[in-house]
Amino acid sequence: MSPSFPNVPAAQYFVVRLRRAALLVVVAALAAGCAGGPAESGPVTLVFKHAKILGPSDPVPGLLREFEKRHPGVRVQAESLSWNSDDQHQFFVINLEGRGAAFDVMMLDVVWVAEFARAGWLLDLSPWVSRAELAPHFPSTIEPATWNGRVWAMPWLMNVGVLYYRTDLLAKYRLAPPRTWEALVDQVVRVRGAERDPKLDGVVWQGRQYEGLTVNALEAIWANGARVFGADGAVFPEEERAAGGLSFLRALIVSGVSPSWVTAADEELSRRHFGDGRAIFLRNWPYAMALFQAAGSPVRGRVGIAPLPGRVGGAASAASSGGAHLGVNRRTRHPALAAELVRFMAGADAQKAMSVGGALNPTRMALYRDPDVVRVHPDFPVVHDLMLKARPRPVTPAYLMLSTTLQPEFSAALVGVKRPRQAIEHARLRLSYLLEGLR
Amino acid sequence: MTARARGAARAGRVMLMPALTALLVLAAWPALWVLWLSLQRRIPVFGIERFVGPSHYVFLAGDPRFWNALEVTLVFTFVSVALEFLLGLAVALALQGQRRGRRLAVALLLLPWALPSVVTGRTFEWLYHPSAGLLNYVLGGQAINWLGEPALALPALIVADVWRTMPFVALLCYARCLTIPVEIYEAARVDGAGALATVRDVTLPLLRRVLLIALLFRTLDALRAFDLMFVLTGGGPANTTETLTVYAYRSLFQTLQLGFGAAIGVVVGALVMLVAWAYLRAMANEEATA
Repeated sequence: MSPSFPNVPAAQYFVVRLRRAALLVVVAALAAGCAGGPAESGPVTLVFKHAKILGPSDPVPGLLREFEKRHPGVRVQAESLSWNSDDQHQFFVINLEGRGAAFDVMMLDVVWVAEFARAGWLLDLSPWVSRAELAPHFPSTIEPATWNGRVWAMPWLMNVGVLYYRTDLLAKYRLAPPRTWEALVDQVVRVRGAERDPKLDGVVWQGRQYEGLTVNALEAIWANGARVFGADGAVFPEEERAAGGLSFLRALIVSGVSPSWVTAADEELSRRHFGDGRAIFLRNWPYAMALFQAAGSPVRGRVGIAPLPGRVGGAASAASSGGAHLGVNRRTRHPALAAELVRFMAGADAQKAMSVGGALNPTRMALYRDPDVVRVHPDFPVVHDLMLKARPRPVTPAYLMLSTTLQPEFSAALVGVKRPRQAIEHARLRLSYLLEGLR
Repeated sequence: MTARARGAARAGRVMLMPALTALLVLAAWPALWVLWLSLQRRIPVFGIERFVGPSHYVFLAGDPRFWNALEVTLVFTFVSVALEFLLGLAVALALQGQRRGRRLAVALLLLPWALPSVVTGRTFEWLYHPSAGLLNYVLGGQAINWLGEPALALPALIVADVWRTMPFVALLCYARCLTIPVEIYEAARVDGAGALATVRDVTLPLLRRVLLIALLFRTLDALRAFDLMFVLTGGGPANTTETLTVYAYRSLFQTLQLGFGAAIGVVVGALVMLVAWAYLRAMANEEATA
């Protein structure tokens, strides 16, 4: 499960499935209609492969019909993949490496863009998309899109790590949302000491050995003023500070500020716990807000959203970004049209429809202040500020190699199997060896 | 050999050809190809494709992650197969002695075996849920970190695996039990054998061969264990549940180091063949003495 497309309750998923089934019927009917017509100058068909759009409704089919209306003779066929990010990656890799051209436009997890570009699977969009056209998108989405100086994809959906807090509990003790992790720990100790509720946990986050752990650990490492790669490509140049970031996460568990099971938690597990009113703070993505504010939620009206804290003597808040980009298969038979579809879907109108109709966060900064959008998502102005400061995970074609190498080391530090210094040292040795082999 | 016998032998070889060809194409060819792949450094994303000989195997010999995965695989296989064996046998004997409701019992027994493994995984994810899980609730509201504690995660996975596959062993044994003639038990009773002696001296020896087959299947499956780890822990915490196949998957499909991943696959294949050979030998001995 990628943090970019969090796991969403099954009921919603089922509704989406139903809609999609209905859509399939329509598509089939259309296809049948075409088959009956003149086959000689058949319309151009673009295939758009994307992850299942989860949420209250799926605006994608409507947008594609709009694109078809603007481009007579063009048909766009949307084909959805499973919501599991590992499955999507596997599908794309097998088909692109097998040189299949069964699809033209694809929705890519932001961490795959550099990888796919390096592999030669993506069409260079530079002839159609200028740097200026990317400028209205959040800065942390542009870096992955323009890996190695060319435009490979356009930003489409965005995510950012945020801190949720219980407004009622903080107000009761006259506390403001913490700016540093040290302050957060103090607040947890104070609130739990006064509440005397053994079922109330402090802060919950994602520590299971998967992509979510990479994100949480990177945020802790960044907050402590360390990087994964130095300017010269050295791995963990600030080794001491990187280890300090992990030590802090371990200390959260040892001191009981976080329950020990965060080492097995993913987004949904931690989201439900906080949503049941059993934690004061939660680190998660913006999607959770709508679920906390839904009718029947035990914490409805009692949840606030704030930047992830920084560290005393470290960096200011350092939240990781996530999300999805749109790219074009290099083997497409209709490069110009496919690029046009990408520009259309990443455009202001389409992104607005995606965020108003669905529960998705656009990558265009202006939409977070658009009155129509803010009416549906009142927390968007706050989210805007957080996204503006978000950092992308390392933009490298070897990202998955990097992440799957770091995960066991980070996990070992969290559960106390290795000392944080040792974990960072082992990660560094292994990564340096792997990256050396790619030269 | 007469001309006729030679003709028959030739006809026999010709008739074997289709089966042999199918085996070659479907089994031998992919195996050889994987072996060839494992001797190369092939990373398509970076356009790397070159012959490196046995260097992946040399690296694996000194790779702590590999040795850890091997250990996890062996511990998982040994403990889960042993438990499945003992429990499955006990359940089969209990079924045999049961007078009423046998069909219902068999149907219930089939249920875990029939469930898709991802469903089993999700079910256990909820059972083991630290704050809302049934298991911790039954234990009196504990907050035991079943899947996130290095010492508990592998045992928790083994329990899930035993729950899922013990019925397989039980049903095979039970089916064999049904074919044991009643007369043998009567003879045992007449000779004054008690219940325990009957099981030890009559039922178990007759079950030996079917038990060996069940063990063979289960051991080979367990050596390739993947789905439960993948769904429940992702190999964590700290790789304490990362089996060889999970490591191979991460190398092959996630990070696209095709040659390196293939080398791990070859090691798993060799391990499986070795164990299968040992079992087949044991079975051959069994036939010789039977």
